[in-house]
Amino acid sequence: MGAPPPAAGRPAATDLDVRLLASAPSVARSFVTGLATSAGRPGARGSLPDRRLVLTGVAQDVRRLADYGEVTGSVLSDRLPATWLHVLTFPLQVALMAGRDFPFPMMGLVHVANTMTLHRPVTVGEELTLSSWAERLAPHRKGHTVDLVGEARVDDEVVWEGRSTYLARGKGDGTAPPPGGREDDIPRTELATWRLPADLGRRYARVAGDANPIHLGALPAKALGFPRAIAHGMWTHARALAAVEPRLPERYVVDAQFVKAILLPSTVVLRGGVRDGSGALAVTSRDGSRIHLSMQVRSG
Amino acid sequence: MSDQTTSPTSRDAVVVGGNRIPFGKAGGAYAAASNQAMLTAALDGLVARFGLAGQQVGEVAAGAVLKHSRDFNLTRESVLGSALAPTTPAYDLQQACGTGLETVIQVANKIRLGQLDSGIAGGVDSASDAPIAVGEGLRKALIRANAARTPMQRVKALAGIRPGDLAPESPRNAEPRTGLSMGEHQARTAKEWGITREAQDELAAASHHNLARAWDSGFFDDLATGFLTLSRDQGLRPDTSVEKLATLSPVFGKGEGATMTAGNSTPLSDGAALVLLGSREWAAERNLPVLARFVDAEVAAVDYVSGDEGLLMAPAYAVPRLLERQGLALQDFDLYEIHEAFASTVLATLAAWESEEFCRDRLGLDAPLGAVDRSRLNVHGSSLAAGHPFAATGGRIVATMAKLLAEEGPGSRGLVSICAAGGQGVVAILEGC
Repeated sequence: MGAPPPAAGRPAATDLDVRLLASAPSVARSFVTGLATSAGRPGARGSLPDRRLVLTGVAQDVRRLADYGEVTGSVLSDRLPATWLHVLTFPLQVALMAGRDFPFPMMGLVHVANTMTLHRPVTVGEELTLSSWAERLAPHRKGHTVDLVGEARVDDEVVWEGRSTYLARGKGDGTAPPPGGREDDIPRTELATWRLPADLGRRYARVAGDANPIHLGALPAKALGFPRAIAHGMWTHARALAAVEPRLPERYVVDAQFVKAILLPSTVVLRGGVRDGSGALAVTSRDGSRIHLSMQVRSG
Repeated sequence: MSDQTTSPTSRDAVVVGGNRIPFGKAGGAYAAASNQAMLTAALDGLVARFGLAGQQVGEVAAGAVLKHSRDFNLTRESVLGSALAPTTPAYDLQQACGTGLETVIQVANKIRLGQLDSGIAGGVDSASDAPIAVGEGLRKALIRANAARTPMQRVKALAGIRPGDLAPESPRNAEPRTGLSMGEHQARTAKEWGITREAQDELAAASHHNLARAWDSGFFDDLATGFLTLSRDQGLRPDTSVEKLATLSPVFGKGEGATMTAGNSTPLSDGAALVLLGSREWAAERNLPVLARFVDAEVAAVDYVSGDEGLLMAPAYAVPRLLERQGLALQDFDLYEIHEAFASTVLATLAAWESEEFCRDRLGLDAPLGAVDRSRLNVHGSSLAAGHPFAATGGRIVATMAKLLAEEGPGSRGLVSICAAGGQGVVAILEGC
């Protein structure tokens, strides 16, 4: 996938003000702040925060990592799942989005795509420096997208990069390129059937710290316009990646497009496969007619 | 008509190498790790060491003593999560603390018969992530409810559950037939053989010192791969001493004459260990080292239920049978590895082999087997210092012994002896290559 060019006038990530954090920001507090200050944000007319949030000296909580593995179907190992590094940078992302200088109201943002690059295996014992910033405010058919970028370093070496693309619905741009994940891209091979329980969103929220109300139960989801609670896109992503973990290369790039939400409870099917370090995967409805997640892996 | 079948010809099975993760203390560094996580880590370390990624080996045999019912295919699941080819067959095997050595015997024998060219053997155990079962009353009620054909039957089945049924059952380290823990059984044996507290503490201190020296000298560099936060065995106390051990209070046995403490008994541990075996040809084709040849093995069991014999004394019976079959004397070995379930287990076994009465009355021998040169025993420490994740101990010992014999040189001989719950003993002979 070709990355869109940075929006005009945006400084490069290295030009951003570095804000060193003393500890990981509380996601719950960011949600509350984001909600309370959602009114009056300028939307696409505004500019992105010029801050890069940095958290140093991050060590792994093995118990929490094991719990995350249990919910996402990965076996605890010395090597951190790439999606776990996303989870670790998520509080920084949310803190940026909750800030008053972020142009969009946080609660309306939809995670539509994610790209991660694992530059090398990252192990449990390594101390990480995590950072996050916002960039690439871009037009989309249904509004605008903004990328929240995460980075993990060991000393000065960048070991992992993640890019979460969020859609802020609004006046769309019909000339913007269509998203990936069309039905004719769906791999046919069925790898696994997953029966997702009604409380999956709550369980994932506990281990990943993403307590967005649309995932927590039918009532809060209804209040936000969904008929039932929906599965976290990053849960689906993590579960799919865990399913092919032994086949993943040491270094890889994985692109994921979150196409349609999975309403909980639900039974979905993982399709596709990874061979010789690359492949395409999709999570679909049981009959394959509806695509929830589309994913491409290649050696990095 | 020509012969329709070919008789398998016996050939050598050799130990190519081994890999384990450092052993953790129960509730310690691996508290959050499942058996599958540890076994997969040990497997991936072995695969990386011998360049087996993406390759199919003949089979992987491993087991765990404390096992969740969902882990019925633990070894196969670990293989599927490892870097080995997914076409590698695997199975679980369980013989209490003899599990690891028994898997080595299985795989070695299949190689010797020509049924396999290569195989991986060993085991894993977690005392931290032990299974907790629902009580019998609840379990039976749930089974009845599940089998019910009408809603009324289901209601009736579930209505039979009593509050007391809801208490979970955790696994106990006790013999089902005697209700005694392994330590309590061993305390009887220690008393019977007059094993002193001092002798036990000396053996325990030596185990820690020997193991610490082996880690310091890099002996385990090609036998272990760090896992999570551990790069050495968590229970290892290099600075322990007979004096320090003497201050501990006895935990097994009662009153005056109780000698067994937490210091001279193995602690509950977490860990995994594996051994790579192959035919000589298989190893040569891959330019892999050949450390030791698997010579022979024997398993014995004793009647500990009637009180005729101590629970952990079966190796004292297995070894003489093995020696007789091989035409060897107990002194014909360069190295001995006797699993330190308790220091007193090792000492009682040695005492039995030296006892004229035991060897005559129990083993039917004309003369005692005699003494073992203690300077050749557990030279790089054993379970008292390393810890004892039940099914992992056999793999740890075989890999250690094989490497020691390779250093000792071709033709050197090693005896491995492991006692197990249920009154069983698994023993084997290896020969340096």
